[in-house]
This record gives sequence, C-alpha cells and structure tokens, in this order.
Amino acid sequence: MARVPAPEHLKAAVDALSSATGIEFAITDHVVTGTQLHAVYARQHSLPERYNQTTGVLGFRIPMNYPDASPEDCFFLQTSDPLKLASPDPTRNSTDVYRASLTPDFLKGTVLADHPALVFSWHLWDRSPWNRRQNTLIDHYTHCLRRFDGPEHD
Amino acid sequence: MIETRLRAEAPDEACVFVLARPSRGVRRVTCLLGDTIWPMSGEVIATPYSLEIRADYISRAMEAAIDAGESVGLVLIHTHPETTFGSGVGVFSHRDDWYERRLFPTITLDRPKALSGSIVLGTECASIDGRLWWNTGVGPMTQAVGVVRIVGPEIKFLETRYSGWSDHPDPSMMDRSTRLWGAAGRRILQNLRVGIVGAGGTGSIVLAAVATMGVGKIDLWDGDVVKKLNLHRMLGTTAAMIGSNKATALATWIREIATAKPFEFVPRESWATSPVGLTLLKDCDLIFSCVDKFAPRVPLNDLAYAHLIPTIDMASWLHPSGGAIDAIMTHAHVWSPGIPCAWCRGTLSSHRLTREAQGAQRDAERHIPYGIPLDQTDEVEPSVLALNLAGAGLALLEFMQVALRITNRTPWDLKLFLPEWELDESDLRRMPDCATEVATACGDTFVITPIIPFASSPEGQSVGGSGSPSVSHAD
Repeated sequence: MARVPAPEHLKAAVDALSSATGIEFAITDHVVTGTQLHAVYARQHSLPERYNQTTGVLGFRIPMNYPDASPEDCFFLQTSDPLKLASPDPTRNSTDVYRASLTPDFLKGTVLADHPALVFSWHLWDRSPWNRRQNTLIDHYTHCLRRFDGPEHD
Repeated sequence: MIETRLRAEAPDEACVFVLARPSRGVRRVTCLLGDTIWPMSGEVIATPYSLEIRADYISRAMEAAIDAGESVGLVLIHTHPETTFGSGVGVFSHRDDWYERRLFPTITLDRPKALSGSIVLGTECASIDGRLWWNTGVGPMTQAVGVVRIVGPEIKFLETRYSGWSDHPDPSMMDRSTRLWGAAGRRILQNLRVGIVGAGGTGSIVLAAVATMGVGKIDLWDGDVVKKLNLHRMLGTTAAMIGSNKATALATWIREIATAKPFEFVPRESWATSPVGLTLLKDCDLIFSCVDKFAPRVPLNDLAYAHLIPTIDMASWLHPSGGAIDAIMTHAHVWSPGIPCAWCRGTLSSHRLTREAQGAQRDAERHIPYGIPLDQTDEVEPSVLALNLAGAGLALLEFMQVALRITNRTPWDLKLFLPEWELDESDLRRMPDCATEVATACGDTFVITPIIPFASSPEGQSVGGSGSPSVSHAD
C-alpha cells in the first residue's frame, strides 16, 4: 500500500479543528483504498449517554482536494464493543442504532482499518451546499454532532 | 476600457496608473494589469505634446500598490495622440525616457517582488510600445515588452517593435485557411504557444488539429503511459508505443504533420497541474484542458482567470439508465475573463469533486444507511472516438474564435446532446459571489492549489531559455 501523505493544507485544517474544539484530531497517512479520501478522527471522543459506550473513535472522510471538494455527508464511530443504545428505542423496540450501518471497507488501507466503522449517513451539505471559500472542518464537525441532538428514531 | 477613455482626451495626451501583478512562467514573465487609478482633477496637466504628472497622483498610486500587496506594482499608460504634425506614434519619446528614468527608480524602490512598467499608445490601435521596470535590490532594471495581450472572451495581440514574432516562410501552403483568418491570423498561429493538458482521447485529436492548422509552439502534458485500451481512441498511437509516455509517444508523428515553420513541440512526461506544471503553463497563450477528471479542472480554471490565459475545456459524458445509455453529451467551454467560470457554469461543484474522490466507493453515503454494500466501480468513464472528435471540433471552433476572432461573438460553451441531436449553449450566468472572478488578473498573488494524481511520474524535464516579457490586460 503506497503511503499518500495528507497535503499540508489538510493538516492545517485538522489542526484548526483541534484548536477550535479542544479535541485532538488526527488525519490518516494513507487514503482509503480505491479512493482519494483521508479520514480525520479523534481517538477518545465522548459519546452521548444514549449509547452503551461512553467513548469511541469519531471521524469522517475528506477528499485530498478539500476544501474545493466537500467532506463526505456522513461520519463514523468505532468502539471497542459493538455500539448499541443503552435502552431500546421505544418506537422500534430495538437497541440497534438507527440509520447507521457497519461498513467493512469504509476505512480500508488506513490505520483505522482494524475495526469496522459504524457509519452514519447525514444530510447537511445536500440542503445547504458546501461553500469552499467559507465552510471549514469545524462546520462539518458541528454538523455531525447534530446527529445526536434529536431522538434516535425520527 | 482604458484605451477608449485615454483616447477621448485627444488631442491632449492622457495617462493612467494601473495596478500590476506578475505572472512568472519559465520562459517568460507577464505583467498582468488590473485595477485602474484614474487621476483626479488637477493631478495631471496635459497638452498635445506633453504630460505633467503631479506628485500627489504618483503618491496616491504608489500607496494603492503598497496597500494591495508586496507583489503589486504600477504600470503607467499614456497616449501619443494625433496632432497637427500627424498621427501619434506608439514609441517612447526621448522625453518619456528621461521622465521614466526619474519616476521608476522611486516606484520600484524597496519593492523587490513587484513588477512595474509603462505603455505608450499611438493613434493607431496597433501602434504600441512598452517596457517593464523592477528592482530586486541591485538598482532599477528595465526591459522592452515584446507583445501586449488584451484578454477577454477573445485575445487581442499587439506587437511592439521588440516583438520576436515571425511569419511563415511559405504562406502559400496555408492559402485555404488564410482565406478565413487572414495573414494576421496566420501570423498569430505561427507565434502562438498552445498548452494541451492531457494526451488521451481528446488531447491527441486537438494536438493533431492545432499542429496541422499551423500553431508554432505546442506544449503537451501527460504523466500517463499508452495502454492497450488507448489505441482505439487515441490518434497517432500504435501497439509499439504501449508502455511509453503518452506525450513523448506522439512527438515524432506530430513533428511530421506540423505545418508551422519553425515548429516547436515540447512533450512533458508529467502532470500539468503539479506545482512545476502550473508554472510552465504560464508560458502559454492559450490552453486546451483535455483531462478526464474534475479535480485537475480546479487549478486549470483558476489559472485561466488569475493569469489571463484563455482555456478551452472539453469533456464527454454518457448517462446510463437501466443497463442502457439514455443520454450522451460532449461539450467545449471557454474559460476566460468575460465568460462565466467552470464553477458558475456547473462543470465544477464541491459535490462532484467529493463524488469523484470517493472513487471505487462512489455515493457511499447514499448506500450506508440502508446497509447496502459499497459499490466497487472501476472509476473509468466511457470514451468514444467519434464523441471525442465532435467535442474537439467544438473546441477547435472556439479556439479559432478566441485566438483569431472569426466571428463577432465567442460562445460561452457549446454542448452537443444526444439523442436530441441538439447543439446548445448554456444560459447559466456568473454567480454573484464567484471566487474565480475575484481572482481575475491576480497572477502569482493568487494561490492555486496543485493537483497531483496518485501514480504521478517524476517531474518533467526543466526548461531553460528566455523570452521577451509581455503584458496582459483583462478586457
């Protein structure tokens, strides 16, 4: 696997995200196999109380030509044990996380490939188009966290 | 337009300071003219034979240049109008020489990154002279300008007496073409430097066409090698070339079919959108974008506007539905000041770039919530010779218009749609917050992010030599 170092401007964007959030984010040295996407991630990110785990890896994939290209409209979690709801969602009577699925090849070829990624599809940049001159990773991260604001089942 | 406003002052001379930014290639340096700083009442005293520029005006212009950045210089444009002695000649007078030797040491002092200069306009449109001034710390330096380019939807070339251009030694061989674009057009083609980015399906067609049409200097970029699957759609290739670099493989053939004399062909075995490639592209008068991805179009689009190098982009697109192709399109789009850019016209969008970067996992976020496995596509778009020929034909018509002005209007883009069999011109306008337009004529002061494909080959050979400097101005 050829190492494809993240461009300097991507590393700078990740540093800015860490500074703004106080959370240590990193970027993979390799792109995901078959893509031009790096993963930006935080190792010990706190998770909402609704889940059966308190911390995990939270991250998302961004193209090498960010910010002309937007981050993907989704993010992922990796936890030591399978992530479930702490108590069943009353609507579905299930502890499965809604609208998220384990995606085996999502981080293939990167340092995060050893554990499956639970990927949450999320739609902000569909409705409010990414503005390459204005939006930043901080906007994207903030938008990812909004996934946890509402009820598990919509 | 600067020229019109200055000439309106005739029979008096007139002048204006213009902010200037450098565009430094390898073979040539171009001084790009941008915002004008017009004199206020009383700041210039003009007669038919002289100009007196007050210190207030000079100070105001210098402050504007300093405020605009360390690389921003000043160009002084003035006229030699028609007088009772006859037409004004676009040549610096002794008085001009004397005055500039006093003025430009001050303007260039302690501004080592800035490029300044002066232009004199004669009565006739093509009567023009120019020179650059700079000071890198060893004292003021000056050099004559060879060619002034006025760049808008078309390029207008104005040669000075120091132009290094030449005519074809046997123009009769181009008689049938000269009937369309005239001897002046033939001279432009002979001296034009055209860059072609991509030597594949469309690039090889464009290369063969512009070499046959009489373009004198062609630079061709491609970091990829000829593969078996290229042979059925890449002109000029044979099975013996498989494994050779695409640009180099075409060199012998293209030198044999070229009609310009002298003819210079530079194959570059590297990617034009690398840092070195983007510098070399600044040597070109016009560029053809023959790439098959969206990502490299970003820096090429930026370069077209920031460095005033008209670029003609072409692409073909096939839309599958239910296992069959239900729509086909081929397009040729001019990127140049006065024409909406690739972002405004929808060729480029952040979403498209992201989707392309997803490569083999295209549209991943749409599949994931439903647990659908990620698609494994080969990422390769279809490429068909006849479709590429049609797109290249549209691009070459646009090329003749941009470089040779064969009609009175340049189309913004041309799209051929099938199955409608319709030729259409998009009506998408410039977006109000277009970032590309803001960067127009910003030259090297605007940072363009390079794009280097994964499997890029080592950087191409370095190029030496020097050419006469030139000036470009957005129309």
